[in-house]
Amino acid sequence: MIDSGSVKQMAGHPFDRRDFLKVLGWSGAAVALSGCGNTSVEDGRETVVSYVEANDYMVPGVGVYFNSTCAQCDAGCSINGRVREGRVLKLEGNPDSAINKGRLCGLGQAGVQHHYNPDRVREPLLRNGNKGEAISWEKAYALIAEKLAGVSGEEIAFLSGGVSGHLKVLLGNYLDSLGTKNHFVYEAIAPSVVRAANLKAFGVEMPRYRFDKAQVVLSFGADFLGSWVSPVHFSQQYAQFRKGVNGQRGVLIQVESKMTLTGANADRWLAVKPGTEGVLALGIINALGMATGEVAELVKGYDKARVSRETGVSTGQIDKIAALLKLRSPSLVLAGNAAEGYAHGSQNAAAINLLNQVLGNVGKTIEAPVSVPFPQMVPSKGNTVALKNMNDGLAAGKYKVVFNFAANPVFTAPGAFKFKDNFAKAGFKVAFAHYLDETALQADLVLPLDSALEDWGTQVPEYMTEGAQINIQQPLMERLHANTRGMGDILLGLIKQKKADEYKGFEDYYAYLRGAVLQNKGALGGGGVEDDTFWNDTLTQGIVKLAGTTTSLAAHASAAGLVLPAAAEADEHFPLHLIPGVTASLRDGRHTNQPWLQESPDPLTTIVWDSWVEIHPKKAAELGIVEGDIVQVTSKTGSVKAQVYLFPGIHPEAISIPVGRGHDAMGRYAKGYGVNPFQIMDAVFEAATGELAMHETRVKISKTGQRVLVVKDEGSAGALQMGRKIAGRVSTDQVDLSKEV
Amino acid sequence: MYRFLRFPILLVGLFLAASSFAANSSQPALTTEDSLGPQVQQPIEFPHNRHAGLKDASDPAKGGMEINCQYCHTYARRSAVAGIPPLQKCIGCHQNIESVRNKPRIVELFKYWDAKKAVPWKKVHDLPDFVRFNHERHIKRFVEQQDRPVQEACGYCHGDVKEMTVARRQKSLAMGWCASCHEKDHPVVAEGGTPIAGQAYWYSFQKPAAAVDANTKARGPNDCWQCHK
Ligand code: SF4
Repeated sequence: MIDSGSVKQMAGHPFDRRDFLKVLGWSGAAVALSGCGNTSVEDGRETVVSYVEANDYMVPGVGVYFNSTCAQCDAGCSINGRVREGRVLKLEGNPDSAINKGRLCGLGQAGVQHHYNPDRVREPLLRNGNKGEAISWEKAYALIAEKLAGVSGEEIAFLSGGVSGHLKVLLGNYLDSLGTKNHFVYEAIAPSVVRAANLKAFGVEMPRYRFDKAQVVLSFGADFLGSWVSPVHFSQQYAQFRKGVNGQRGVLIQVESKMTLTGANADRWLAVKPGTEGVLALGIINALGMATGEVAELVKGYDKARVSRETGVSTGQIDKIAALLKLRSPSLVLAGNAAEGYAHGSQNAAAINLLNQVLGNVGKTIEAPVSVPFPQMVPSKGNTVALKNMNDGLAAGKYKVVFNFAANPVFTAPGAFKFKDNFAKAGFKVAFAHYLDETALQADLVLPLDSALEDWGTQVPEYMTEGAQINIQQPLMERLHANTRGMGDILLGLIKQKKADEYKGFEDYYAYLRGAVLQNKGALGGGGVEDDTFWNDTLTQGIVKLAGTTTSLAAHASAAGLVLPAAAEADEHFPLHLIPGVTASLRDGRHTNQPWLQESPDPLTTIVWDSWVEIHPKKAAELGIVEGDIVQVTSKTGSVKAQVYLFPGIHPEAISIPVGRGHDAMGRYAKGYGVNPFQIMDAVFEAATGELAMHETRVKISKTGQRVLVVKDEGSAGALQMGRKIAGRVSTDQVDLSKEV
Repeated sequence: MYRFLRFPILLVGLFLAASSFAANSSQPALTTEDSLGPQVQQPIEFPHNRHAGLKDASDPAKGGMEINCQYCHTYARRSAVAGIPPLQKCIGCHQNIESVRNKPRIVELFKYWDAKKAVPWKKVHDLPDFVRFNHERHIKRFVEQQDRPVQEACGYCHGDVKEMTVARRQKSLAMGWCASCHEKDHPVVAEGGTPIAGQAYWYSFQKPAAAVDANTKARGPNDCWQCHK
């Protein structure tokens, strides 16, 4: 079947693919054919390019399928790409993966648009004034060596997104060779506060959540069907959860201040006053009456009346939730972005974990995770603390050489950081980039990367399911552009500048990867198998499945140290909470230049190609705002202008703007569409972890007097069709839960 | 004013449409009708006649070699598109044919091979993008099931290639021309062909004939979606 040799061969013999595209596509010049007007027939003029050498399995017009790994987010879904005439056409999920079992999310589907994107960087670019000048790779490498000469490790900083697998090992080795410890790992949207809270309560950062075993899921703002941790996997578990254990359909209750995709799927959606998730969790523990000792002591004060007053959730609802949780066990309680995004996020998450423990879910629906037996390959994680440290160093002018890979801090850093200005203080800035995004534009040297469908690699997901797995990434087709390089190849080239002898055996990253995998063949389940056979099987499968090591799970969530702050004072200048919406397709905005993602309507508002400000209709009426009004949203840090969308799924004291749009660089499909709420985020940090409290920014809104027609798929506001409501609505407190379940 | 004009124009249009339909419907174009395409300049003037032509008994150096079309055009029976033979295919034979190794065309061919570059052949047969012609089905039908000679089957659309040097389009390849064949009553089983009972059924959406013999006739598929997918 598919062997590595053929993939290499495919990668090694370029021919002009653009001609192929012409063959496949509709071409501009049309010739009138007898009997038919309007055709694209190009007899005798168009070139039809054949293979120079073709493998037996390559037949023009017939697809060949290769397994690889989705690189659109770090959930690590395995993909299976259809390749025809040497071009990748469509991605599907690989059914063999325990994570996605043959499924793929919309963001994953758009991976082909990352690859074919017309705005990819194609040559190494060196800054010359305001322009990037194309230079050769030799010159680029020489330049980096020159800039690094005589620079101490302290003066070097490497900023990256989450990296895992062999690339992480190689990157670590490179940083060692430079003598630097300044590796800052920054993912703009990461559940880092929840990780810390989990570590405290369960002894692990990310336990395995068993939606499929739960009878009730109570989620505090965890958008697990859309954008949280491993959404494709969770969606499948969710389907099982809905089918139910013993025929009893699982019930989903979502508590959040802004409705997410998961919230829209819930049986019960409760709007909670921003930041009071922990109070509600303690209130539920109180209402359950199951706690003893310290915990009972802690929740004593959280009687229904007080909790209802502080959270805005009616006492009746609290009773119903408690009754349901008592009736149905095991359940699963989750703390998501919304719960952790406050200065007391850790406390919120701790209260929620405590609820899990009181309900006896630990060990039942919260299981011990497995991980790969190679700790050096598990993903590096990080969030705003890392960025803040680096930003402080930059502000102090500490760094002479700065590298940036797989992160776009100029776009995602909270405005209060003034990251762009500080970044400019670094001596020499190197960006490894796919696009000329906001950060690459500030760099002195931009090195163009292969797309994920052209590159080699291994990936280890943070969230494992049944057993551990190492995902293989392999080229589905040869390079589109002759002068892009894989990150592994670049690192190998750079590390050879320092440790030529140690790495001279590896001609390229492919050789390195193959060597590293085969070296551990035994541990990877290939003991006694021929090298070539094992390697070819590994590539064919696209996944190495391992027994993995299991970290044991503790249940030491306790009342100790759990103090929830008094309800936040209303700020008269900035009366509204700003909730940054994380959408399933845009996430932190690194893929906004893929037009499918811009074009696919937001699942809740159906808006396309633009940002919006979600405001509760009541609040809007109070402020005299209607849909389509352009409003100015101002925080202490800055302001943005965007169109209003009236949305009943948001707390009246909050507004929400989705993140991911509002690029002023990156490419034709991203630049100039929408606004970037990161820009107006205040620097408020979570008390225990120091991470950015993303939901703490307070804003005010004012009308600008302009009004636009909101471009969206749904009908006019209120979802009326021909004057009739499509579906009648009943507010949640009107529903008798006991009748439903 | 304009509105006033519209109706008469519509009438005239209708009349023209109807009369042209009448003129055409009386006599469908024959499948044999030739409609030569443009003479195409190819990077290498490939002699089809030398490869596929009939042998010259008196002088083997002069005639053709009667190579089966499918030897080089191997994709036609396996895929909707016929593709162009990979360069490797040419070299596979020619590296062992010393006698012509220094002929200009062969020298040119090896230049591409040594540079590992594809020969930029020009398209000779092209269909509009909204038409999906399937080579594989036609070969299955005529060559494999009805056992017709390969050159005859390919020739229905490509003409008498064994007589050509560089191929040239011989038929119009327009829809009416395709239909002229699909609308004819054809024997389901040719002499010497494999009798397949279900043939008539899937071929023209009739109930399977009780006994399929040389007299059973059927038509090619005539649903729009067969080609316009
Ligand atoms: S969740 Fe979506 S984007 Fe992330 S790895 Fe899976 S398919 Fe790719």
